Amino acid sequence: MSARLSGILTVLREFAFGMTGYEFTRHAAELRASLETLFMVNTVGDMIGLPVIPPYYALRLMPYLVPQIATWRRRVLREREITEDHDLDLHGI
Amino acid sequence: MNTLWVVIFGTIVIYLAYNFYAKRIDREVIQADPKRATPARMYTDGVDFMPASRNVLYGYHFKSIAAAGPIVGVITGVNLWGWSPSILWLLIGVSFIGWASDYSAIMVAVRNEGNSLSAIAHRLISPRTRTILFLFIFFYLLLIAGAFVGILAPTLGARPDVPFGIFVLALMGLLAGQMLYKMKVDLVVVTLVVVVATILAMALGPLGVNLAKAPVDWSQGPISGAIVAINKSVDTAGPLYTVVDPTNADPRIPAPGADGKRPTTATYDAATGAIKVLPSYLLWAVFLLVFSYLGANLPIWRFAQPVNYIGFWITGLVIILSALGAVLAPFLNPAVAAFKAAAFKGFLPAQPTGAFQPLWPMLFVTIACGAISGWHALFGSVGTARQLEYETDGLPVGGGAMFSENALGLLSLTAVSISGGAGGVAFASGVGRLLNVGTFGALPVGYGTALGFGAFVVIVLTVTQLIFRLMRVTLGEWLGEAWGGFKNQHVATVVSMIAATLLLLSGTWVYLWQLFGASNQLMAALSLLIVTVWLASTKRNPAFAGIPMLFMYVTTMAATLVTAYNLYVTILLRPSLSAISVWGAWAMIIVAILLFATALVIGLDGWQAYVRYRSAPPRAAPAPARARG
Repeated sequence: MSARLSGILTVLREFAFGMTGYEFTRHAAELRASLETLFMVNTVGDMIGLPVIPPYYALRLMPYLVPQIATWRRRVLREREITEDHDLDLHGI
Repeated sequence: MNTLWVVIFGTIVIYLAYNFYAKRIDREVIQADPKRATPARMYTDGVDFMPASRNVLYGYHFKSIAAAGPIVGVITGVNLWGWSPSILWLLIGVSFIGWASDYSAIMVAVRNEGNSLSAIAHRLISPRTRTILFLFIFFYLLLIAGAFVGILAPTLGARPDVPFGIFVLALMGLLAGQMLYKMKVDLVVVTLVVVVATILAMALGPLGVNLAKAPVDWSQGPISGAIVAINKSVDTAGPLYTVVDPTNADPRIPAPGADGKRPTTATYDAATGAIKVLPSYLLWAVFLLVFSYLGANLPIWRFAQPVNYIGFWITGLVIILSALGAVLAPFLNPAVAAFKAAAFKGFLPAQPTGAFQPLWPMLFVTIACGAISGWHALFGSVGTARQLEYETDGLPVGGGAMFSENALGLLSLTAVSISGGAGGVAFASGVGRLLNVGTFGALPVGYGTALGFGAFVVIVLTVTQLIFRLMRVTLGEWLGEAWGGFKNQHVATVVSMIAATLLLLSGTWVYLWQLFGASNQLMAALSLLIVTVWLASTKRNPAFAGIPMLFMYVTTMAATLVTAYNLYVTILLRPSLSAISVWGAWAMIIVAILLFATALVIGLDGWQAYVRYRSAPPRAAPAPARARG
């Protein structure tokens, strides 16, 4: 009985988070990703055809950037539409 | 009929539709497989593609799709045709069309690597379908912006207790953005501060006014009295010009009295049917546009997002307490629970000026959201579909949120029907009575009605600011190449606002709303068409999407023609009307023709794609990617 009650409370808590805080979490992730993208373009931009700083410095920073490279390339090279870039603007209409 | 029956019917229909129809489609046609990797798991990037719990997504998706649409559409539908066809369309529409559109748009995106509907249409149907979809979006935004400002401006003018709360809402929005993102204050603390402050401001609006006395003397209160004084000072010059709403649905037209006749008011001349456009109407329209300008141009975290967050809490509390009141009213106060609106006004209710408002097709575009909405499909495909952790979450999230939005539409119908009036006044009045019951009498009806008005304005206004935001983005994207000025966000916003205001000032509110509904439903038909073609391309039975698509397609095509005819007969054939009415009517007729023509092109392309895929030999399906873990 207590496990069932706990399950219901979890569902309610997650639902409430989805309606309240989740939007802010997503937006914070977007803001962080934008900053990271700027940094990545500056340092390893040659990977997407934008050589900004000499490869020597990029290689020095490479160990710190490796974990993010896969998702970063996927994110910035994906074709986007205005509805995707402004998906918050679609809310509730 | 009373509120309890709506709760019972709604619960039974939603339960049956979800468990015996939606689940079957999910299992047998879409064949959702929890082991198949979703785009969120395949392409996790920490931002757009990010697996989330289905409970979180359900709350997120519901909050994102449920707003002003199911409230305003239902208010208008009950006013024009009565509550019985409105409730039937809400329940039948959501059971066979609405959930299918939302759910299938999400699933088709999930099965196509998280691509948006327009990208899938580009690949499956034809490249120009994508362009047409964007055209729909633009007209959709233009029409709904005019319609929403058109319903809010007279409400603010007629209810001097509301504007103060809206002003404080703007301030609290700015404060919430600052506290959350700059000062890093906990969300719970921010919520307590800004939501309580905004509710207090809304309660202060009618302070000092005897709300039990009819008509209410708003000049008694310190805050509402100040607003009355402002209205009077700008209205001394008299009306700027007059317009006529052939359907009597304009928010400035009062509801008929006990004798069945509409009274003459400061804005309405019952003898001639003329609506006076007063300077105060323009003043409040400008107030709304300034609010929306902030939402459209400030960084989203600075204003639009926190304002919507506060608005969500206010409307959410009002909705929950009203729903409780709707359940309790038959037991605690049966007089409140009884429906007073007309049950059925006929298949072709008579309009005094010759307007043609047949139940089919017009009801089906007037009540859009709540039964079915194309916008949901658009949002679902670019947002929710990329966060589904398991395919089997698609139905509870997409379908479940749509059924929940339908419940909001039913609550709106209940509020309007128990008050028996028309327009936003009827909604607020009904909400006031339900709140009185829902709080066990603690909240007097007068204050409940004031809160109902406040919540109504908040829910519509928070959406309006996002509409202008998206309009300026769309303008910059499309016309920025032709003239660089459109790339300037302030220029694009002002141009969008001028275009919407011109439509608003033409005075035919209901046509604006119905054209918006048509563009929305055409988007829904388009999303169902994409799903139908996709199902055909994968050799599965497309009937669950194809039949609703055909119905919505034919209905919306007919509705655009009827609206264009109405505009011609009731505006253009009356030479006595002001020039702005005539220009507004011409603009709307052109929009209607464009919608009709583009829908024809989409239908043709869709049919050709469907035939092409149906006649193609079956291909060996590639082995599905399997999720790890």
